Amino acid sequence: MTEFLQQLLNGLSLGAIYALIALGYTMVYGVLRFINFAHSDVFMVGAFIGYFAGEHLPHDSIPGGLVALAAAMAGCAVLGIVIERLVYRPLRGGPTLNVLITAIGMSLFLEYTGQLVFGATPRAFPSLIPAKVIAVHGLVISINQLLVIAVASVLMVALELAVYRTKIGTAMRAVALNPKAAQLVGINIDVVISFTFGLGSALAGAGGILYALNYPSIDPLMGVVPGLKAFVAAVLGGVGNIPGAALGALILGMTETFIDGSRFSTYKDAIAFAVLIGILLFRPAGLLGRYSTEKV
Amino acid sequence: MKRIPTPLIALVATVLAAFGVSFFSDRIDPYYLDVMIGVGINVILAVSLNLVNGYTGQFSLGHAGFMSVGAYLSAAVTLLAGPRLLGEDGGTALQQGLLFLAALVMGGAGAALAGLAVGIPSLRLKGDYLALVTLGFGEIIRVIFQNVESLGGALGLNGIPNYTNVFWVYAFAALTVFTVVCLVRSTYGRGFLATQDDEIAAEAVGIDTTRYKIVAFVVGAFFAGVAGGLYGHFKLTITPTGFDFTKSIEIVVMVILGGMGNTPGVILAAILLTVLPEMLRAVEQYRMVLYSLLLIVLMLVRPKGLFNFNFTAIAARLRWRYLAARK
Amino acid sequence: MAAPILQLEKATIRFGGLTAVNALDLVVNEGDLVGLIGPNGAGKTTVFNLVTCVYETTSGTVRSNGASLTGLRPNEVVEAGIARTFQNIRLFRSLTVFDNVRVACNLHRTSAPVQALVRMSAFRNDEAAIARRVEELLELFHLGRYRDAPATSLPYGEQRRLEIVRCLATQPKLLLLDEPAAGMNPTEKGELMALIKRIHREFVPSILLVEHSMRVVMGVCQRVAVLDYGVKIAEGTPEEIRNDPTVIEAYLGEPHGSSWAHH
Repeated sequence: MTEFLQQLLNGLSLGAIYALIALGYTMVYGVLRFINFAHSDVFMVGAFIGYFAGEHLPHDSIPGGLVALAAAMAGCAVLGIVIERLVYRPLRGGPTLNVLITAIGMSLFLEYTGQLVFGATPRAFPSLIPAKVIAVHGLVISINQLLVIAVASVLMVALELAVYRTKIGTAMRAVALNPKAAQLVGINIDVVISFTFGLGSALAGAGGILYALNYPSIDPLMGVVPGLKAFVAAVLGGVGNIPGAALGALILGMTETFIDGSRFSTYKDAIAFAVLIGILLFRPAGLLGRYSTEKV
Repeated sequence: MKRIPTPLIALVATVLAAFGVSFFSDRIDPYYLDVMIGVGINVILAVSLNLVNGYTGQFSLGHAGFMSVGAYLSAAVTLLAGPRLLGEDGGTALQQGLLFLAALVMGGAGAALAGLAVGIPSLRLKGDYLALVTLGFGEIIRVIFQNVESLGGALGLNGIPNYTNVFWVYAFAALTVFTVVCLVRSTYGRGFLATQDDEIAAEAVGIDTTRYKIVAFVVGAFFAGVAGGLYGHFKLTITPTGFDFTKSIEIVVMVILGGMGNTPGVILAAILLTVLPEMLRAVEQYRMVLYSLLLIVLMLVRPKGLFNFNFTAIAARLRWRYLAARK
Repeated sequence: MAAPILQLEKATIRFGGLTAVNALDLVVNEGDLVGLIGPNGAGKTTVFNLVTCVYETTSGTVRSNGASLTGLRPNEVVEAGIARTFQNIRLFRSLTVFDNVRVACNLHRTSAPVQALVRMSAFRNDEAAIARRVEELLELFHLGRYRDAPATSLPYGEQRRLEIVRCLATQPKLLLLDEPAAGMNPTEKGELMALIKRIHREFVPSILLVEHSMRVVMGVCQRVAVLDYGVKIAEGTPEEIRNDPTVIEAYLGEPHGSSWAHH
C-alpha cells in the first residue's frame, strides 16, 4: 500500500511538472493554432538560468530557491516573447506549415547552440532547496516533491485567475475563439499573443527549475523528452483547453511513474508516443476538448 | 518499331553510365567515391520524401524510421542468408550482386509495409498533428530496434558486407527519380498535387485522396528503405540512434531547401547538403546549428526553397531572348 | 418509371443543437433542371454536402437511381455520377487550367498507375485521349486560351466556368451547382443562364441549382424548391413560387409585391 502511495506521490509530482509545460503548449495552440516546438527548449533554458543563478544564491534555502525560480520565469518569459516577435510573427497569416518548420528550426537552434555554448555533458544542478525528506508512515516525501506540487498548484491557480479574471486573460480567450472578431472589438492581437507566449514560457521556466530540482542533471537536450510528453499531455486533455492540459499531464505523469516501476520500464518513452497516436486516432479532441470540423 | 518512351531511355542510360563509372572506380580517389555514394543515398532519401511532403502535402517527419527498417532488414538478409547462399568463399561477384539486390528490395518492401502502417493511421491528420505522429512513429521504430537484441539492440549491427558501390547507388537513385517524376507527371499523378492543394475539391472530382496518401507513403518508404540498405552496406555498421529525428530533419531540410514538389531542386539541395558538410568538416560542430538557422531563414525569406525556379518560365524567357536576338 | 436521379426522403442533419436540414423530401428526375432557393442560412449548401456525403445524415435517406448514398465517400459519390461546384470556388491553385480539368479525368482513365512508369503505347494513347478531351472541353467553353495559365490567374467569371467545366470532365449524370451566379453582374448572369441551359441540353441531363439570384432561377429552372431554416416551405414552378406568400414572407419578413424577384 505504501508502495502504491509512494508511486502516487511521485506521479503527482511528475505530472505537476508536465502540467506547467503543457499549459504553455496548449495556450499557444489555442491562440495561434500551431505547436510551438521550441517550447521544450525554453524549459531547458529555465533550468540553465537556475543553474547560473545558483552560483550567486545561497544553497539549501527556500528563499534562494524561490529567487532562482523567479529569475527563470522572468528570463524565459522574455525569451518566449523575443522568439515570437522575431521569428513567428513575420510568418503569421502565411501557411501554417511554414511556421511549423520555423518552430522546429528554432527548437533545434536552441538545442544545438546550447550544446555549443554549454557543452553536451550534463551538469549537476545545485541543490537550491534543502534536500530533506520527511518520513510519514513509511512514505518518503522529499521537500523537493512538496515544493514541486505546491509551486505548480500555486502557478496553476494564478494562471486560472489570470485567464478568467483579468482583462488580458479574457482578451486571450477571445483571440483563441475568433481572432478576427477579437480584432474587430479593438483587441490588440500582437499584445495578446506576446502575453500568451510570455505566460506560457514563464510556466515552462518554472517547470525547468522544478524538474532540475528533482532530477538534478541538466544538459541542452534535456527539454526534448519531457517537452514531448508534456505536449502529449496537452493533446490528451484537449489541446487549447487549459484544465485539460493539467488533467492530461496528471494522467500521463501517473501512467509513466507506474510503468517505470513495472517491467516495461525501457519502453516508457515510447509510451508517450503510443498515447499520442492513440488519442489522435480515436479521440482527436482529447478528453476535454472539442473537435471543430472544416466548413465546406 | 514501337517508340520507346524518353524517361525509360534516360533511366537505362543513367544505369549504364553508373555501371561504367563503377567499373573505373578503382581509378577514382576513394574519398570522392565516398562522397559520391553519400550524395546518391541522400538523393534517394530526399526525392522519396519529396513525394510524400512536397507533392502530396503530407508533412512526414519520420522518414529516417523507414530508412532504418530497410537498413536492418537488408543487413539481416545479407548477414544471415549470405553465408548460407554464397558459401565459404563468398561467392562470385554476380552472386553477391544478386544477393544484394534481393536484400535491398526486401529492405524496401519491409520499409513499404512500415509506410503502410504509418500512413493509414495518419490519414485523418493534418499539418502539425501529422508531423508529430510521423515523428512519433519514427521514434517508436527506433525504440523497437533498440530493444530487439537479435538485431544488436542499442549497440546495433556491425560487420555488414561492403556491397554498396557507385553503380548500385546511382542505379537506384535514377530509379527513384524516374519513378517519382513519371508518376507525378501523368494524369494519375496530378491526383497527388490535387490532394495536397485542396482535399475537399479533390474528392469532389473523384480523387480518392486516402489512396493517394497511402501510395505516397508506401512508395516514399520503399525508396527510403532501399536507401537505408545502401547506407548499411556502405557504413558497415548501423545503430538505432543513427536513424533518429535528427536524421529525418536533415532529409526534410533538403526537401525544403530544394523547394517542396520540385524534384530537380530537391536533387540539387541533396547534392549541396551532402557536399557542403564535407567541405566544411572543420566546422562540423556547428553543422546542426547552421541547419536550424537555415530552416528559420529559409522560411522567413524564401519559403518556396532556394532552387525553386520555374523552369518552364525560364526556358520560355530564354527562347524569347534567343528569337529576339536573331532578328 | 425509372428511379429518380436524386431522391432525398426525410433527410435530416443536426449539428449539436442546430437542425440544419429538417426532414427534407426532394426529388430530381432524370432530365430535370431544379432550383433550390431560400434565405441565407436556410441550409441549401448543407443539402449539397449531404448529397455528396461530405456530411452524413442524422436520419432520413439520400438515394440516387434507387441506390442509397449513405456511407459513401465523397469521391465515390462522384463515381456514382453526381458532381458539384462550390460556393467559394475551389479550383486547384497550384495547377494550370489544363491540369485542373485533366485531374478530373482520372475517374474515366483506362490505364493503371503503374503504366505511368513503363509508358507503353496503351498508356500513351490513354494520355493522348485525355489531353484531347480536356482541349475539347476547354475550347467548347472558351477557356482554350488560358490552357497553361495558373487557374487562379483567370478572371472571376472564367474561374466559375472552369469549375463547372472541371465537373463535366467527370461525366456526371447529375450536376449540383452551388450559387454559380455569386458575384456576377447582369451581363455575366445572362451568360451564365445561357451556359446552364446549354450544359443541360448537351452535357448533363439533370441539374440541381442553388442560387440567390431570382432572375437566374426563374430564367432557367423548370421547378423550384424553397428552403427556410432547413425546412421545405414550398415547391412548384417558378411562377408559382414567385407569387407564393409563404415564400415572400420567408425572404422579406412580411407580405410584399412581386418586384423583389428581379435581381
